[in-house]
Amino acid sequence: MKDLFGYAGRKFILYLQDLSSLVYLFRETLQQSLVLLRDGKKLREAGILKQVDEIGTQSLPLVLSVSALLGIAITVLISFQLKDMGALSYIPGFVAVAVFREIGPLITAMIVAGRVGAAFTARIGTMKVSEEILALETMAINPVRFLVVQRFVALLLALPALTLAANFTSLLGSFVFSSTRLGIRADTYVREMLDVLAFKDIYSGVAKAAVFAVLIVMIGCYRGLVVEGGAEDVGRATMISVVSCTLAIILFDTVMTTAFYG
Amino acid sequence: MIVIEDLRKNYGDRKVLDGVSFAMERRKITHILGTSGGGKSTLLKVMIGALKPDAGRIRYGDMEITNLQGRQLDPYRKKIGMLFQHGALINSLTVAENVGLPIREHTGLDDNIVKIMVKMKLEMVGLRDFEELYPAQLSGGMQKRVALARALALDPELVYFDEPTSGLDPIVASVITKLIADLNRLLGITCIVVTHAVEEAMRIADKIVILYRGKVLAQGTPGEIRESSDPLVQQFITGNPDGPISFRASSKDYREDLLIG
Ligand SMILES: Nc1ncnc2c1ncn2[C@@H]1O[C@H](COP(=O)(O)OP(=O)(O)O)[C@@H](O)[C@H]1O
Ligand SMILES: [Mg+2]
Repeated sequence: MKDLFGYAGRKFILYLQDLSSLVYLFRETLQQSLVLLRDGKKLREAGILKQVDEIGTQSLPLVLSVSALLGIAITVLISFQLKDMGALSYIPGFVAVAVFREIGPLITAMIVAGRVGAAFTARIGTMKVSEEILALETMAINPVRFLVVQRFVALLLALPALTLAANFTSLLGSFVFSSTRLGIRADTYVREMLDVLAFKDIYSGVAKAAVFAVLIVMIGCYRGLVVEGGAEDVGRATMISVVSCTLAIILFDTVMTTAFYG
Repeated sequence: MIVIEDLRKNYGDRKVLDGVSFAMERRKITHILGTSGGGKSTLLKVMIGALKPDAGRIRYGDMEITNLQGRQLDPYRKKIGMLFQHGALINSLTVAENVGLPIREHTGLDDNIVKIMVKMKLEMVGLRDFEELYPAQLSGGMQKRVALARALALDPELVYFDEPTSGLDPIVASVITKLIADLNRLLGITCIVVTHAVEEAMRIADKIVILYRGKVLAQGTPGEIRESSDPLVQQFITGNPDGPISFRASSKDYREDLLIG
């Protein structure tokens, strides 16, 4: 029993250390981003567009197919009860709100955490164990500026955009299913949806996406930067990175949903 | 002068550096000899400011390296180059981009000038034709030479070498040894070489320091080391397996270890 407390205590202290290092990394990233944004030449060399392409454009097929399917699934799910009540016209509004406020940002962030956050950890972790990061430091090159900043800026641009694209695709899935299988007329669908959807639904979702982007980049890069050892440790760090990203995203999602609509 | 005073570093309870003190002269070649796992890389990491020692200090000119942290080290690091044991080239960049990296980072030079400088550095190590390849496409020896070109990119006054010739074929190894000698004789670069290659050290070093069990066993010119009457030193430079130095790193008694194990 005493051992258990000791174990939990040590884990908790490690957790607090990680947390404070993460905050430190975030501050450093913000600072270095500002430095980079002021320096046109270095900005071009940082290859932010390439990163946007790698993490945004290449995630698009996966994100869009998942969102379309989810849009259909939600519609099927709620139509089952609403049909009995003769209230099918509530579908567009309900789906739009659920997707924009909650499902779109959450699912997109989860997919990107698994696909992109994991890749950040693996890439940076590999550089850590092969002493590439030590070499950067020895050349007086700030590793955060060299490795984290362009990923940060790129994901901050890409994730909100991906989220909006996912939202519209979900709605499209729902729209197609509603009009072909539930007999909701196209103009009714659009009118009902616009009636319910408020601007706040859209920007709260985008704000969530921005916060999730910060979480994914910070946790993904941090886990890579602290790897010690060899290939096996990079693998474990990648696993831990995806798990902590997922948890952090769900935690912040709950907090933000409560803050916006609670 | 680079002065190391009573440097100590433990990993857990393993004493890797146990009170190391010696001095190195500028514009000279100093070889630091030691067994594998004897703490040579650790010593270099402390010297480049990447690792904090548990005690002791290192002075380079008027800078006290061991007191500097983070960005305070930048002025020192812009003056030095380091050849890592395994090269440590950035794998996502081509050979030319790797060599050009420190130049682009620390000078505002025009891209065309950077390209010319990169060509010149690569020519020094004889790899001008490999600019567009990635590190993974090169052999270990070539990677080390590219890494050397990168270490020389900003014309450092001091270059650290971590086992520059280990794992290379004899010809490439002697090419690199000659390169180190030339850097020093022709360009006046201070060279600090950590190695277990005794012959190479005897050939080009101005001063040799032998590390043993975390302490300085002997130091002096190659001639003085060769003439040493200390049996430990003799075993070290002749590589005789029978002598006072045991190849066993364990401090535990073998029989005890087996019986308890
Ligand atoms: N980060 C580390 N953590 C724990 N032990 C280490 C670490 N780095 C090196 N060591 C140990 O310290 C000793 C010296 O290592 P190193 O300086 O790399 O030796 P060398 O370069 O002379 O071969 C070795 O026994 C090694 O296992
Ligand atoms: Mg070593």
